[in-house]
Amino acid sequence: MKRLGMIALAAVLTVGSLAGCRGGDNTDNSKGSSGPKSDVGITKEPCPKSEHKDRGCIYLGIISDLTVGPFHVLAVPITDAQKAFWKRVNAQGGIGGYDIDAETYVRDNKYNPQTHNEAYQEMKGKVLALAQSLGSPTTAAILPDMKQNNVIAAPAAWTSAYAFEDNILESGANYCIESMNAVDYANETFKPKTVMAVHLAGDYGDDAAAGAKIAAEKLGMTFINVKTDSGTDKQAGAVTAIVTQKPDLVILTTGPADAAAIVGGAAQRGFKGRFIGTSPSWNQGLLATAAAPALKALYLQSSPWKSWASDTPGHKAMREALPGVTPNDGYTSGWVWSYPLLAALKKAQADGDLTRAGLLKAAKSLTKVDYEGMLPDGAGNYAGGADGIFRQSLIYNPTVGAGGPNEIKLEKDYFTGSVAKDYKLDKPCYEKL
Amino acid sequence: MRNRPLLRTSYNQELALLDTTSKKVAVGILLAVGAALPWLVEDQLLQLIGLACVTAIGAIGLNIVTGYAGQVSLGHAFFLAIGAYTAAAIAGDPDARTIGFGVQEILIWLPAAGLVAAVAGVLVAPLATRLRGLYLAIVTLGLVFIGGHVINEWSELTGGPGIGRQPPAPKLFGYDLNASDAFLTRDQKLYLLMLVLLVLAALAARNLARSRVGRAFTAIRDRDIAAGVMGVNLARYKTIAFGVSSFYAGCAGALLYVGVGYFDPTTFNLLLSVQYIAMVLIGGAGTVSGAILGAFLITLLPRLIREVPSFLPFISNSPAESPNAYQLETVLYGVLIIVFLIFEPRGLFGIWIRLRTYWKAWPFSY
Amino acid sequence: MKDFLESVLRGIGTGSVYALLGLGFVIIYKATRVISFAQPAFMLAGAVLVTYLAGPLGFFLALAASAVLTGGIALGVERLAVRPMIGRPVFTVAIITLGIDIAVRVVVNGAIGLDVRQVGDPWGLKVWKLPGGVQVEQRHVAMVLTTAVLIALLFVFFRYTRTGLAMRAASYDQEAALAQGVSVGSVFALSWALAGALAAVAGTYAAVGGSVSESLWLIALTALPVIILGGLDSLPGAVIGGLVVGTVQELTATYQGSVPWLGGNISVVTPYVVMFLVLLVRPYGLFGTREVERV
Repeated sequence: MKRLGMIALAAVLTVGSLAGCRGGDNTDNSKGSSGPKSDVGITKEPCPKSEHKDRGCIYLGIISDLTVGPFHVLAVPITDAQKAFWKRVNAQGGIGGYDIDAETYVRDNKYNPQTHNEAYQEMKGKVLALAQSLGSPTTAAILPDMKQNNVIAAPAAWTSAYAFEDNILESGANYCIESMNAVDYANETFKPKTVMAVHLAGDYGDDAAAGAKIAAEKLGMTFINVKTDSGTDKQAGAVTAIVTQKPDLVILTTGPADAAAIVGGAAQRGFKGRFIGTSPSWNQGLLATAAAPALKALYLQSSPWKSWASDTPGHKAMREALPGVTPNDGYTSGWVWSYPLLAALKKAQADGDLTRAGLLKAAKSLTKVDYEGMLPDGAGNYAGGADGIFRQSLIYNPTVGAGGPNEIKLEKDYFTGSVAKDYKLDKPCYEKL
Repeated sequence: MRNRPLLRTSYNQELALLDTTSKKVAVGILLAVGAALPWLVEDQLLQLIGLACVTAIGAIGLNIVTGYAGQVSLGHAFFLAIGAYTAAAIAGDPDARTIGFGVQEILIWLPAAGLVAAVAGVLVAPLATRLRGLYLAIVTLGLVFIGGHVINEWSELTGGPGIGRQPPAPKLFGYDLNASDAFLTRDQKLYLLMLVLLVLAALAARNLARSRVGRAFTAIRDRDIAAGVMGVNLARYKTIAFGVSSFYAGCAGALLYVGVGYFDPTTFNLLLSVQYIAMVLIGGAGTVSGAILGAFLITLLPRLIREVPSFLPFISNSPAESPNAYQLETVLYGVLIIVFLIFEPRGLFGIWIRLRTYWKAWPFSY
Repeated sequence: MKDFLESVLRGIGTGSVYALLGLGFVIIYKATRVISFAQPAFMLAGAVLVTYLAGPLGFFLALAASAVLTGGIALGVERLAVRPMIGRPVFTVAIITLGIDIAVRVVVNGAIGLDVRQVGDPWGLKVWKLPGGVQVEQRHVAMVLTTAVLIALLFVFFRYTRTGLAMRAASYDQEAALAQGVSVGSVFALSWALAGALAAVAGTYAAVGGSVSESLWLIALTALPVIILGGLDSLPGAVIGGLVVGTVQELTATYQGSVPWLGGNISVVTPYVVMFLVLLVRPYGLFGTREVERV
């Protein structure tokens, strides 16, 4: 054993003296000369697939749920839309002599925080920012490192916790505000006395349920909290809770298949109250299921922004950029989430500082973002912090068509409910459930 | 002659920790490379290798109960979770939303995590004295589901699914291992910590295996009735096996997420348990080095596979098309495991044995 | 009382789907002594095939076609990945089936696409009213009937056909069966095909009245406590285990509101709790064969 120790020690000393041979963690590649300051994720060489050989390249990373995770049905169109979005930016002239590349560093996180972190660590030295970081637990796994290295990201979630993170550029009303508005809308239209939140556990369901609870208490309604799990065979408990306690309004935050099982099951057992689901609870395919009559009679959907077929410049641009796809609001979301990052990049470029710190500073100083009409004026106030969150959402009836192809009936255009208007977001909503 | 594998000239040699010179040299070199690694590779890789070290501790633990004592447990994720939450609670920030007592000294929270998990293991052990084989496996799987329900619901401790909490931040005698300083970066420090702990864990497991207890385990694995006839107290040794294995799992769980800096309760699911079983089987059941190899392979495999699509430019990298690079990655992960086990059911350790046998008779191999 | 009866009826309905799934596991176990973790993927594959075939063929033909096709896929998988492992440790084979599950599920998820899909069943969410105001869902009646028919067919097959006899012989003692001229290889293949077909039917019925999305595969995990409860090598055990688990789960779901301290939606873990309780009393499940230990 002694000899073994000696060998080990000798080897450690030799190799230890080679300290400094390892690769750097931050590659400084283009400094000085002309153009804005830059550090990581920007090269003077054109992007690998770019047609503009005279431009440099800004690399953006995408870490999403692309194969077997629970959200890949949404994540795939989100990712596709974002690629199309940045292609369009390039076609319109890029940003200050740079093209944007959101194609090279696209990784699958399988909705696993560990995998997400690995993918992030791998691309960290090569991208300026993240065009998408999907999921709350996954993003939470990389957030400390992002803060340390001034990396900013567009999220693919609407959790209220992001209002407190400078590095995350969230768009639209969060789940909490959206549910407050949903309860407020119900209060105006059909005056419910009891509100039940049926939700998955965690940042998505808990956040929405907390919003419903806050609104219900403020408006003098009784609130009932029912947790459920993912899987169509696991909804019996939720259905029973609904039919036995007979709330007037159910705020639903689940996956689409589960939502159909709950609404269909409750209606079949004689429930006559209303359901308002948050947008990830809906999928157009549900209209062909056996639950369709129940959905048509009872279901409304709240939404943070307008759906695929809407008539705004942003929506039009999106539809043109994505020819021949099956309409899905995953595309809309991916497209909308990209605007703040674009605004931050433009601002940073105008400030002459495309370093990560410069980009973060630019993002933090944004008081509004041009969403090309997809969100109304006043959206994207990142300088305002948690007080600057966007408080408007919409109510759709997704089961009723409205004229044009793929258009669904808008029940109420962008509005801020009375509760959401005065609500002071002092900590993430889900902590209040 | 002295250095021929499987040729023993004394009982002491049979029992030795490293029985041949070549093994000693090999281990020495490995240790030296391991110790030098922080100055050779980038931080991001170091973080991954550190994770592999911790995973290896967990795999060694599962190997004790499954590989040595022959009791297949699919409940490893449950014990990992117990360790992770014990440590996180002891070391957690007292002012945070989740339970925390603010004791960051690793010499306190690490053994505590192991001990609490070990107690849980001892409590579960009576099941193993009643059940065998697949029954035991699926019943331990039940632990994962029931335990999963508890940690999902107990959000004061775990933060709740999708929200999670921070893992313990290690301090050694007041020296902060969780932050970079002038000498070492955070990842370098954590990697060295994990490496040292892995070496300790491996040594301890190896020593256990060649002791009276280890021989009793092997006897139980090979034929429990015969072991009982020889005077091995089945209930007692199965309890020891579960206790020790869970102690390892607890320690591994406590350290598993230190590198990432975040974990949430949904992590501790069936898949995690199965991954550990896969590590033990792929490495080669019943050997410490096999468990370590298996843990490294399973941890590093996704990283290696992610490089594959860049060599196959004809595969689309658009996730909307099918087949695409991401599907290929995931399928490849499954297929590699299948292919590997079909061609080498004894695991990585089996490959090593074959190589050794080949060279033993070289150049007269056939 | 009405609630209680309705819950039991629903439980028997969903329980019969669990029973079908459990039967698949048990058939494979009896032939090869392995638990196939690939069953969830076959279940999902079967249901997705039905969603594609139901349009042109109609529900019942599509179901039959999907059962045959899924059986065929299972057969191929067995031949490629499982047959080489005969005589290897069972857990190595179990991990291989897990690898299969991952690979097959990726392909199937790709086939589901962006929208949830339907199996196009004729029952939907329609109900029949029984005397006393108790209502029973037609789909649950269909599930029970289908399961009963399949069980009867399996019984006839195992009891009265030569192949069935060969399968029973191989499961009883492989070497003796080989010596009697039974092709044990084809017994393995056939059991995988049968299990695949059963999984396809179970998956389709699990989606009846609802929809097919990738989360459907989670249902198959409930079959694990079912088979342990009934006894790994007992076909009647799988059926009774399935019905017990289904009923207990539905009853818990109905009455869990009165025990909020157990946490939300406790019904999800009840199968495992039932499994623990039964195993404490009977270590080989309700109907499993007790291993005889001779020294």
